[in-house]
Amino acid sequence: MRKIYILASVLSLLGLADALYLTIEHLTGQTVRCTILSGCSEVLSSQYALVAGIPLAAVGAAAYFTVFSLAVLALFGYRIAGKILTPLVIAMFFVSVWLFYLQAFVIRQFCQYCLISAAITTCLLVLVLSLRWFKPAAQ
Amino acid sequence: MKRILPFIIILVVLAVALTSAWYLTRSIPAAQNPPGNQTSSSPGSPASPAQSQQPVVTGVPGAEPAHTHGPANAPLKLEEFGDFECPPCGLFHPILKQMEEEFGDKLQVTFREFPLVPTHQHALAAASAAEAAGLQGKFWEMHHMIYDHQNDWKKEFDVRPIFEGYAKQIGLDVDRFKHDIDGEAVANRIMQDGKRGHSMGVKGTPTVFLNGREVNFENLPADKLRVVIQNELRSAGK
Repeated sequence: MRKIYILASVLSLLGLADALYLTIEHLTGQTVRCTILSGCSEVLSSQYALVAGIPLAAVGAAAYFTVFSLAVLALFGYRIAGKILTPLVIAMFFVSVWLFYLQAFVIRQFCQYCLISAAITTCLLVLVLSLRWFKPAAQ
Repeated sequence: MKRILPFIIILVVLAVALTSAWYLTRSIPAAQNPPGNQTSSSPGSPASPAQSQQPVVTGVPGAEPAHTHGPANAPLKLEEFGDFECPPCGLFHPILKQMEEEFGDKLQVTFREFPLVPTHQHALAAASAAEAAGLQGKFWEMHHMIYDHQNDWKKEFDVRPIFEGYAKQIGLDVDRFKHDIDGEAVANRIMQDGKRGHSMGVKGTPTVFLNGREVNFENLPADKLRVVIQNELRSAGK
């Protein structure tokens, strides 16, 4: 259990760094230019990149920070944090699936930083679901 | 202490994240007005001071003869590396046309192919279409056509028939166009422009050089670019 929470903390920190980078790119307009490796200009300049005027990447950063906080609290024995963590990560996973769909079929461009975020969320989902299997063994 | 420790860790991470974000936001020059977004600053307002400090870049030669517009002896030579499928390039297209109208024979514009493959699936086909039109002396007509209708073709699966339609509209020999578009001459021109771009440090589009100095991306909106051009004209003593 402890290892899972530590791994979740590390992964959410990576996700936080990724989402923060995207937020800064969005706010400073750097990704508005098309580049050799990235389709981020299309993705971040699309109508889906903002939620009520807030960059979606910033919402992602807040979500990763919340996951990190909950994982750390759960690691130190705060049981309620562990209970909140699972539904939050599941919700983030479904949002990631939706964003992947938008990139693949609507915008038709992939932003590698968004894909990294989706991969991190998927790993987090696997971790929190594995907690369910660990629990009976631990008790 | 053990009960407080997680909160300390969380606060430390929050502080590091916010400080990093603040530092990076300040250190990256803000491009708050990408091409197409008009700002409220008046003509004559200062462009980014970084512009005059940009070094002159020469690079290896690109495709010859280059696609130029405007007199060869113009004091201002603007070279754009563009990708026909890139949205900011599409937004920059009317801005550049506006600058050409405003500065007339003082400005010579050169367009260089820089299709971002594989980021943009039709960029190479579009560049090939423009170059194939160039072989019949109608590069700029096709260039304008492709940019003006960027939103019409970029989401299509097969763009070749669309470009052939444009070729017909601008009066090209369509059979020759269809032959040339896959030809070696067109491929070589795109390759040579790409080599020039890479040698000049081009990493994205649109990248614009004015008399060999790169114009910062945040200076590409019309009112800022106008100031950059005016400043360059002043320093050229014209």
